[in-house]
Amino acid sequence: MDENSSARLKRSLLRITYRIGLFLAMLTICLPGLWIVLSSLRPTVEIMAKPPVWIPQQISFDAYVAMFSGIGKGGIPVIEYFRNSLIISVTSTVIAVAIGMAGGYAFARYRFRGKSGVFLGLMLTRTVPGIALSLPLFFLYVRLGIIDTHFGLILAYVALNVPFTIWLIDGFFRQVPKDLAEAAQIDGCTRWQAFWQVEFPLAGPGIASAAIFAFLTCWNEFALASQLTRSVSAKTLPVGLLDYTAEFTIDWRGMCALAVVMIIPALTLTYIVQKHLVGGLTSGAVKG
Amino acid sequence: MKGFKPSAPFLLLLPAIIVLAAVVVVPLILSLYSSFTPFRLTKPETFFVFVGFRNYVSILSNADFWWAFGRTVLLLTIALNLEMLLGLGLAMLVEKATRGQRLLRTLMMFPMMFSPILVGFQFKFMFNDNIGLVNNALQSLGITQDAIPWLIEGHLAFIAISIAEIWSSTAIFAILILAGLLAMPKEPIEAARVDGCTPWQTFRYVTWPFVMPFAYIAMTIRSLDVARAYDIVKIMTDGGPAGRTELLWTLVARTAYSDGRMGMANAMAYFSILLSIAFTVYFFNKLAAARTQIGAEW
Repeated sequence: MDENSSARLKRSLLRITYRIGLFLAMLTICLPGLWIVLSSLRPTVEIMAKPPVWIPQQISFDAYVAMFSGIGKGGIPVIEYFRNSLIISVTSTVIAVAIGMAGGYAFARYRFRGKSGVFLGLMLTRTVPGIALSLPLFFLYVRLGIIDTHFGLILAYVALNVPFTIWLIDGFFRQVPKDLAEAAQIDGCTRWQAFWQVEFPLAGPGIASAAIFAFLTCWNEFALASQLTRSVSAKTLPVGLLDYTAEFTIDWRGMCALAVVMIIPALTLTYIVQKHLVGGLTSGAVKG
Repeated sequence: MKGFKPSAPFLLLLPAIIVLAAVVVVPLILSLYSSFTPFRLTKPETFFVFVGFRNYVSILSNADFWWAFGRTVLLLTIALNLEMLLGLGLAMLVEKATRGQRLLRTLMMFPMMFSPILVGFQFKFMFNDNIGLVNNALQSLGITQDAIPWLIEGHLAFIAISIAEIWSSTAIFAILILAGLLAMPKEPIEAARVDGCTPWQTFRYVTWPFVMPFAYIAMTIRSLDVARAYDIVKIMTDGGPAGRTELLWTLVARTAYSDGRMGMANAMAYFSILLSIAFTVYFFNKLAAARTQIGAEW
C-alpha cells in the first residue's frame, strides 16, 4: 500500500516535470517570434519605455501602413523589395525544380558508374559558403553587366538550389515503386509517358515540397543577395532589412513590421509542406 | 562524336551539371587564380600580376585571421553539439506527448521558417542593452540592476550569437530525430524492458543506434549550410566590438568589399570553403556508414 502510493506520487511528479519541461521548451521556441509580432503593433514610445511596459496599452497597424505607403513615409521602398523577392524566388524555383526533377529521376531510377561520387560532388557545390562564392560572382557579374539585375540573382539561386532539390526529389522518386512504371510500359506507354502519367503524379506532393523548400531558400538568402544587388531595381527583402540598421537610430517598430511581412509567406508555405519535407529527407535512411 | 550515344542518366544530369559548372565551378577556378594575384577592385591591372603564394603566406602569418578561424571553429563546435543535444531532447519530449502532437510538431518547426537574417535581427532586438527583452526581463525580475551590455562586450556578444545560432537550427535536428523516433518499431524497446534494461540502457543500446542515421542526416544538411552564421553575425554585431566576434566569413566580406583586396579575400575564402567541405564530407561518410549499418541500400 505504502509502496503503491509512493510510486504513484513519483509518477505524477514525473508527469508534472515533463509538462513543465515541454512548456518551457515551447516557450523558448515561440517567444522571440511572438515578441517581434507584438512589437510591430506597439507604438515606439512603448518599445523604448523605461521601466519597460509589459502589457501593451494600445495596438495599432501604423507601422504597416507607413511601410506600404511609399518611400516618403516608411523610409524604405518595401513594395519594390517585395516584388523583387517574389520575381527572383519564383523564377529560380521553377527552373531549379525542372532541373532537379531530371537529376533526381536519374539518381532514383538508373544505376551508373560513380553514382555516389557524382551525388557527393553535387552536394559539395552547395557547401561553398555564399560569401566565398560571391567574390568571383561579383567580379564576373560586373564584367558581364548583370550585376544588380534579376537575371544575375536568379542564375545564382538556381545553382544554389539544384543540389538540394535533386536530393529531395531523388528521395520522392525512390518511394514510388519501380514496378508501376514498368507495368505502364508493358501496357504500351513509352518511358516518357510512363513518367508523366504514373510516376510524376505519385511523386507530385513531394516535388511540390521540394519546390517550396527551394522557394524559401531564395526568399531567405542574404549573403549573395547583399553583394550582387545594389539598388531598388534588384534588392530583395532580406537585404532591405539591413537598410534599417544602417541608420544611426534604429526604427525598431518598422523593422519588426518588415520582419513580420517576411515571415508570413515562409510560415504559410512551411506549414503546408512540413510532412513531405521530413519524408523526403529521411527516405532511404530506413530502407532503400 | 559519331556513334557515341550518351547514356540516359548522363543526359538527365546534364542541365544540373551545366548550371553548377557555370555558376559555381568556373567562378571558383577564377577565384583560385585570383588568390595568387594582388588583385584589388580599384586596380584592375593587378589581376594579371602573379605573386605565387604571397597572399597565403601573409594570411597564415596574420593573427586576426587565426583568431577569426579559431572563433569560427569554436562557434561551430559549440553550436552543432548543443543543437544535437537539444534537438534530441526536444524530439523525445514531443514524442512522449499523447495529445496535440501535431500542434507541437508544427510549433517545433517554427524557427526553421526564420531566415538567418531575421534570426539575427530578432536577437539583436532582444539582446539590446537598453530596450531588449532579455535585459528588461532581468531587471524587472530584480536579478540585476545594470543593463548587461550583451552585444557590446566581446564574450557576451559571442554567447548571444551562439544562442541565436542554436535557436535557429535546433529545429532541424529535432524534426529529423523525431521522424526517426516515430519510424522506430516498438518491439525492441519492449523486449529490452522485459529483459530488465534500465531506461538509460534502453536508450543507449536500442533507441540511439536506430535514431543515429537520422541525426547524421540532420548533421549533413546542417553542415551544407554552416556559413549561414554569416548572416546572423553580420546583422547582430557585424564582427564587432573591435573584431571580437569576427568570423571567417565576415572577415572575407570585409577584406573583399570594404578594403577591396579581392586577391587576399579569395585566398581567405578558400580556407572557409575547405572548412565547409571538411564538415560535409565527414558527416556524409558517417551517414553512409550508419546507413550500411542498418542494412539500407544506397
